[in-house]
Amino acid sequence: MKILCNGKELELQPAATVTHLLGELGLDRPYALVERNGEPVERERYDRVSLEEGDRIVVARPVAGG
Amino acid sequence: MPAQGGGRALSDPLVIAGRELGSRLITGTGKYPSLEVMHDAVVASRCELVTVAVRRVDLDEVGEAITDRLPDGVRLLPNTAGCQTADEAIRVARLARAGGLPDWIKLEVIPDLRYLLPDGEETLRAAAVLVEDGFTVLPYVLPDPVLQRKLEAAGCATVMPLAAPIGSGRGLKLRHTIEIMIEQAEVPVIVDAGLAAPSQAAECMELGAAGVLVNTAIGMAGDPVAMARAFALAVEAGRSAYLAGVIDESREARPSSPITGLVTS
Repeated sequence: MKILCNGKELELQPAATVTHLLGELGLDRPYALVERNGEPVERERYDRVSLEEGDRIVVARPVAGG
Repeated sequence: MPAQGGGRALSDPLVIAGRELGSRLITGTGKYPSLEVMHDAVVASRCELVTVAVRRVDLDEVGEAITDRLPDGVRLLPNTAGCQTADEAIRVARLARAGGLPDWIKLEVIPDLRYLLPDGEETLRAAAVLVEDGFTVLPYVLPDPVLQRKLEAAGCATVMPLAAPIGSGRGLKLRHTIEIMIEQAEVPVIVDAGLAAPSQAAECMELGAAGVLVNTAIGMAGDPVAMARAFALAVEAGRSAYLAGVIDESREARPSSPITGLVTS
């Protein structure tokens, strides 16, 4: 299954969850912020939201800023 | 004649949306030479609230999370820096909260990339939506007492006027308008941006600002940790002076020694 994550095409196992994706990316700790097809995903649901072919995902996080 | 105000406690909390903060200094986390220095400066500043930006992760270089390098007990204040419209800011705020960051948001809507001046109309529009959505909204604005009232009416928890453009270090250039805002404030006025020296932070506090938010002046100082401490002291000094009651100006001198009983009379 292919998804587009931060503009980059990624290959994931079918029915991979947001948690799986973050694990693949080494971001399975607070605070990984996830948007799926333009909608924010609640952190409590990362385990339950399964990704689908062609999903557009944004993964963001806090960085230094003023 | 001394002004009124003496006798009150010199240490008093900054209350934002019902939450007490022990320090009236809020710091940013940007522009430090390293995350180690940032950590030590935040500790030295004694601030309890720090701003962070929200950005996409570079998947080719995930790197270290800033949240791993902040002192325990410091509360995060995500900002919407980089957003040029209300819709962009709303999107970032909702993303941050959904991902587990606090529901406090430093609202910045800045279409002007040269002077980084905020768009008041879009800021107000975003603020109204975010308050309705349950956020505690701390908007960054040009000093504007009329906009201040509209933001207060919309339910903002603070109003944060800039002293001068972000990172400019020009100091309290918009003092007189900020004074009007402080005079009519229904929610805390926190001066945000443009300060260079601790004395300018003290000046803001002496005017009666509820707090100041400082980033560049600390992060880019020769010794950020020492400068963080200096700002902490200045904010405390300025607040104490405000509470103590700064005397009124006089055009003419006022003798400090008796003018009668002179030895030479």
